[in-house]
Amino acid sequence: MASVEMRLPAVHKPVSPAASQSNRDDKHLVVPGDVITSDTGFMRGHGTYMDEDRLTASVAGEVERVNKLICVRPLKTRYNGEVGDVVIGRITEVQQKRWKVETNSRLDSVLLLSSVNLPGGELRRRSAQDELAMRDYLQEGDLISAEVQSIFSDGALSLHTRSLKYGKLGQGVLVLVSPSIVKRQKTHFHNLPCGASIILGNNGYVWLYPTPGHQDEEAGGYYTSMEPVSLADREVISRLRNCLLALAAHKVLLYDTSVLYCYEASLTHQIKDILKPEIMEEIILETRQRLVEHEG
Amino acid sequence: MAGLELLSDQGYRLDGRKATELRKVQARTSVFAQADGSAYLEQGNTKALAVVYGPHETRGSRSKSLHDRAVINCQFSMATFSTAERKRRPHGDRKSSEMSLHLKQTFEAAVLTELYPRSQIDIYVKILQADGGNYSACVNAATLALVDAGIPMRDYVCACTAGFVEDTPLADLCHAEESGGGTSLALALLPRSGNIALLQMDARLHQDHLDALIEAAMTACKGLSKVLDDVVRQHLEEVSVLTRD
Amino acid sequence: MRDTPLSNCERRFLLKAIEEKKRLDGRQTYDYRNIKITFGTDYGCCIVELGRTRVLCQVSCELVPPKDSRPTEGIMFFNLELSPMASPAFEPNRQSELLVMLNRQLERCLRNSKCIDTESLCVVSGEKVWQIRVDVHVLNHDGNLMDAASIAAISALSHFRRPDVAIQGRDITVFSPEERDPIPLSIYHMPICVSFAFFLQGSYLLVDPCEQEERVKDGLLVIAMNKHREICSIQSSGGIMLLKDQVLRCSKIASVKVSEITELINKALENDKKIRKEGGKFGFAESMPKERITTLKREEAPVEMADVKETANEIVNRTETPTEVVSSPVLVAMGTAQVGEGIVNSWGLDEDEEDEPQTEDTKTDDVMVISDSEEEEVVILNEEAQKSTKLSKRK
Repeated sequence: MASVEMRLPAVHKPVSPAASQSNRDDKHLVVPGDVITSDTGFMRGHGTYMDEDRLTASVAGEVERVNKLICVRPLKTRYNGEVGDVVIGRITEVQQKRWKVETNSRLDSVLLLSSVNLPGGELRRRSAQDELAMRDYLQEGDLISAEVQSIFSDGALSLHTRSLKYGKLGQGVLVLVSPSIVKRQKTHFHNLPCGASIILGNNGYVWLYPTPGHQDEEAGGYYTSMEPVSLADREVISRLRNCLLALAAHKVLLYDTSVLYCYEASLTHQIKDILKPEIMEEIILETRQRLVEHEG
Repeated sequence: MAGLELLSDQGYRLDGRKATELRKVQARTSVFAQADGSAYLEQGNTKALAVVYGPHETRGSRSKSLHDRAVINCQFSMATFSTAERKRRPHGDRKSSEMSLHLKQTFEAAVLTELYPRSQIDIYVKILQADGGNYSACVNAATLALVDAGIPMRDYVCACTAGFVEDTPLADLCHAEESGGGTSLALALLPRSGNIALLQMDARLHQDHLDALIEAAMTACKGLSKVLDDVVRQHLEEVSVLTRD
Repeated sequence: MRDTPLSNCERRFLLKAIEEKKRLDGRQTYDYRNIKITFGTDYGCCIVELGRTRVLCQVSCELVPPKDSRPTEGIMFFNLELSPMASPAFEPNRQSELLVMLNRQLERCLRNSKCIDTESLCVVSGEKVWQIRVDVHVLNHDGNLMDAASIAAISALSHFRRPDVAIQGRDITVFSPEERDPIPLSIYHMPICVSFAFFLQGSYLLVDPCEQEERVKDGLLVIAMNKHREICSIQSSGGIMLLKDQVLRCSKIASVKVSEITELINKALENDKKIRKEGGKFGFAESMPKERITTLKREEAPVEMADVKETANEIVNRTETPTEVVSSPVLVAMGTAQVGEGIVNSWGLDEDEEDEPQTEDTKTDDVMVISDSEEEEVVILNEEAQKSTKLSKRK
């Protein structure tokens, strides 16, 4: 018999600034309309605008100064792509010679037909037949992992899947988090020791999937295995998903170590309990402690 | 409404406030996790909820997108349970369309839309409880939601209502004062520069009193901007505490 | 049909002209176009022409049960429609932003300002009241629909007469206009909207924008006032940033304009009343000037004639004698003439060349206004010419 849980609204506990160990004083927080400086020697970066010779903030966030460049980084924003980022996206449209991919950025990204591997791994010029057969490769609604190749002038990203590790994604779980909590690292594909694999997209889309058993010759990344996934694997993936949501709610930076520590800290609880606020806090506290020890 | 004095001899209004006192304002940002920006605001008994999605690719007709700017899409609606009598048509009637239009124009002027060509920013505002100052609560809630979404703006946009009774300007009108038939002025202001983004006045007022009325409304807006500022700064500090590298 | 956008060079030209304080039709910054108010044969029907913008308003009434919340007051219902004949951009049954804005502003201007005494519209409290319905139709769109609509609405309301009623117990008898004279509505004051258009981020403003000026405007401020200097409504739209002083200045300008327009309305109402009393012909048919199909209708445009002789003499003295002697006009057919030979036709087609007769240069001391036809200026170039040459603008 399914159980019903009820919860009365609780007073929102403000996070006390004294609890943080970092120095709060060196963070310059601004809101829109705040004058950052009246000195004209600085160059203005993102998040600022010039208001009659005064550099004014246009978003709410932290001021970052690099030599003469001042920019304001907002707390939450849509994904702003950089060349070389790994992203996970959903195909929204199939157009002539390209696909439109939705990647949580301010314009849909573009995946050109010339930037994908043909099935079978051939290297040849794309013909008109390839264009007509685009839908056989990727359809609307498919999930792909790709890398940012370049950025168009209006800010749209151009993606490519020219490596065997990128391509269409098969069975797994997608978790949406804010792009600002995904840590930038050398590699975003991890095989976690707990038995699942994870792709941390820079755009905030995280993909959890069962570790592929053996690498059969990938047909250019389009082969998705439809074999049923075992219960143990599925439980691991569910637990990881809840851990990711817990980490995101407490704004902990996501990278392989933090995810792993969080997973281990949550083993004592049932999977569905991880989403309860008190248990979430407990787990996150433990994770944070271990992370500090690990770094310290 | 004869017999109900809007301003008593001792200078107290219907709810006990003085002439230039604002109602209590409480607000919170980031109330929805899945939206890009969201805010909930209470101004006295008026409750408004604002949600912002964007900037994102223009959905729907491609022809609506502008090549050099973002399009701001606004929808204003009142919950059917927000007024004393159940509202038949929450949105689509003329008053809501007009409010949506004004909200859109106000924010088109305040948001730096040139940074997002061919994109679309959606702002949805809903009044959960209407007790006077509906438009002002919407504007304030939408400002907080836009700040929460990280969309660049010139400045906060604060709005407030003001009225006039027996040569005294009243700030921040409640429903009884608004519908009493006296003058009511709604003003949306960018506090730092003093620019008026929107000015709307109903009912008769002699030209000589206009100055005093606008002044009262502007002062009320500036006071309100301080409250909104506090809310945003507090949220900023909380989150920056949580995300330390 | 989608509105054709204004071309970039037209836009630039308009903005440049506004910067130099010039307008397309030669008006000053605070000038209104010619307002003409005419009434129809029925009471409550009115056409207002503001330059080329034309708006028709009709007021009608009906006995209905009152609203529950206000059992002793009559009901006012306003409706403005943008007829597709006004502009190709208006489509029927499409709720555009302009329509919403105009409707709301009209409602706000007339309803919230309580210019009509609604209590006098009550017949039987709680059961029957008069519902006054004001329908405004836009017939031609050449800018500033708001002002024209408000003038039309208030003129029609002032002109309207409702039927007389007699109450005997529970019976209500409505008398037709033949049985008893209809009664005018009791109007406390006349609110009139004045529109100010702002350009170039609020640095320049114009009163009564025409259609092209409206397309390049940044925003609009509409102030509704009556002649007692009471502001009935203010509405700013378009997302412009205003300063308080600008608003106050606009209200002062508005009060001046409103008193002028109120004068005009009152005069038109007086005229109409007089004509009806004297039994003369009234109505729209009489107010349209007689037009022949072959000629264009042009209004009389005032020409600055103050020191024409001196300026003309100056110009004559300054210019040198022309190198070529231009022959006197040659009459080709009745009503047309030709001066000079023109350049040789290089297209090889047979075209009649009818040059436009030149006006204000060398022969200006012969300028005489002969006939009082509706065409602009009738100029006789040469005393020998028997016929007068009409200045027709050929396209």
